[in-house]
Amino acid sequence: MTAVRLRPRSAITVGLVSVAGLAAFGWPLVVAPRAGLTQSGPASWLFVLLLPVLLLVALAEISEDGVDAKAVALLGVLGAIGAALRPLGTGVAGFEPMFFVLVHGGRVLGRGFGYLLGSVTMFASALLTAGVGPWLPFQILGAAWVGFFAGCLPRLGGRAEIAMLAGYGAVAAFIYGALQDLALWPFATGVSTSIAYVPGAAVTANLGRFVAFDLATSLGFNVPRAITTAVLVVVTGRPVLLALRRAARRAAFEAPVDFRRT
Amino acid sequence: MAGRASPVSTARRLHPGAWWLWALGLATAAIRTTSPLLLLLIMAVTGLVVAVRRTGDPWAGSYAVFLRLGIVVVIVRVVFWVVFAAQAPGPALFSLPSVTLPSWLAGTRIGGPVTADGLRAGLYDGLRLAAVLVCLGAANALASPSRLLKAVPGALYEMGVAVVVAMTFAPQAVTHVRRVRAAHRLRGRPDRGLRAVRGLVMPVIEGALERSVELAAAMDSRGYGRVSAISPVRRRATATLTIAGLLTVCVGLYGLLGQGVTAALGAPALVLGLAAATTGLWLGGRRSPRTRYRPDPWRWPEWLVSVCGLAAAAATAGGAPETGTPLLPAAALVLALAAALLSSPSVRREPA
Repeated sequence: MTAVRLRPRSAITVGLVSVAGLAAFGWPLVVAPRAGLTQSGPASWLFVLLLPVLLLVALAEISEDGVDAKAVALLGVLGAIGAALRPLGTGVAGFEPMFFVLVHGGRVLGRGFGYLLGSVTMFASALLTAGVGPWLPFQILGAAWVGFFAGCLPRLGGRAEIAMLAGYGAVAAFIYGALQDLALWPFATGVSTSIAYVPGAAVTANLGRFVAFDLATSLGFNVPRAITTAVLVVVTGRPVLLALRRAARRAAFEAPVDFRRT
Repeated sequence: MAGRASPVSTARRLHPGAWWLWALGLATAAIRTTSPLLLLLIMAVTGLVVAVRRTGDPWAGSYAVFLRLGIVVVIVRVVFWVVFAAQAPGPALFSLPSVTLPSWLAGTRIGGPVTADGLRAGLYDGLRLAAVLVCLGAANALASPSRLLKAVPGALYEMGVAVVVAMTFAPQAVTHVRRVRAAHRLRGRPDRGLRAVRGLVMPVIEGALERSVELAAAMDSRGYGRVSAISPVRRRATATLTIAGLLTVCVGLYGLLGQGVTAALGAPALVLGLAAATTGLWLGGRRSPRTRYRPDPWRWPEWLVSVCGLAAAAATAGGAPETGTPLLPAAALVLALAAALLSSPSVRREPA
């Protein structure tokens, strides 16, 4: 079932934006010693300004041909559930109840829908809590990836499917957290502390420094987040998947609609 | 100010886009400077403007949240400098016991001598981040998110609708959860903990899916999703501009991460690619021929506020020195303050 069709054009766009997004997350690991990016401090803000534009382009491209009223309504209500669940997570270490909605939504309604669902949920929750900050584009891209790859998982059924989704949820939540830390890294440590990135150093050396930074700061949040996501996916798995599948069947996304006059 | 206005003119809200441009201008000024004097001035300006111009809306309290976050950022930056700054130059103030981590953690050294220069650098860096956060907090507090959503470009119409639906349904979902929990309690079922999650989630999701079907039917019956016919040429032009633009952006980023010749080519490629992609976005927006219901006007108060905010960014273009009194940026900031305080737009109405 695919609620949002990804044409080749949209797929290329999503791929290119993801490549630029990977650069936005991982540039401290690979940057050259006298690169254009590190010549002055302000340059590290480049991605904060660049990512929103690229995300808007990707979302516009996906929605240009293939988001009908049913998909928009489903996006809206599922995004509302995710956004409403999100404040529950604050205060508890790393608990992010939003992810299980993204995993189930992406799984049942396809990768294009998962991508849009991640973006809409993150953006709506940021607007609702008035938390639009420099972290938002990174969170949106991360959540969009979580939904997208949930839609790419292989075909399975029964308990095996729940187990696969739980494993995926744990891995995705952990990687999401690590990516957010990676985006935060250059801002949090500056350039001359001993856990900051070193322009021009080998990727492995920089990765070691990043792991040290992550251990010092937020690994204690990422691991519980992965575990709680997996537990929530297992607990809600069967009934939520069934409900979503029934809704998708009722909406009949793949039925051809033709208004030509005969 | 609205209270003293003549009866024929009522205050209207400033366009949210104007507030965002103003705040982004100040944030850019903060990014570009390292002068603590200027950073504190920027924070004071945003604080004053929020205190005077904010409304009673629920999002108006976000300035305080961002301010607290900024204080945390300053503390974290200074602590990082003290604990992890292994190679800071200058005479040491005091010395911490030091540990060297194993080689798979890049042999990082923790602790060691703490220098005054290091402390000051950490403090100023943290202050800069805090100033940027505070500027964004001001934008969050002053601009209405739902009105901002009304101004999304045409190409993102569907996504804008989805976000509006999400923002409308989220409070309803919360009340729905409360109702279901109350029902569970009345029946003597668990309403807390993991065992209750399934019982809570299912009715909420079923209800939401039910509503989405109704909503979709209502949208379909009101002609949602009508698009105007686009010529194949324009369609192809949009696609080419978007994809070529994104490709160029990726190439430009690759150049910026490298050095030498590629670095010199990086910035122009990035700008060119961005221009092409945004043109594609604009062309794609032409497919949805829609009018807006009661659009927010953009008149001289909006121009004044946004231009003065951006002028503050332009005044720091050369980069302000760390010491001394930066007169030009400070003057620009005072101008931005005055513009934001004084420009209260009003709607003229004929007396009945």
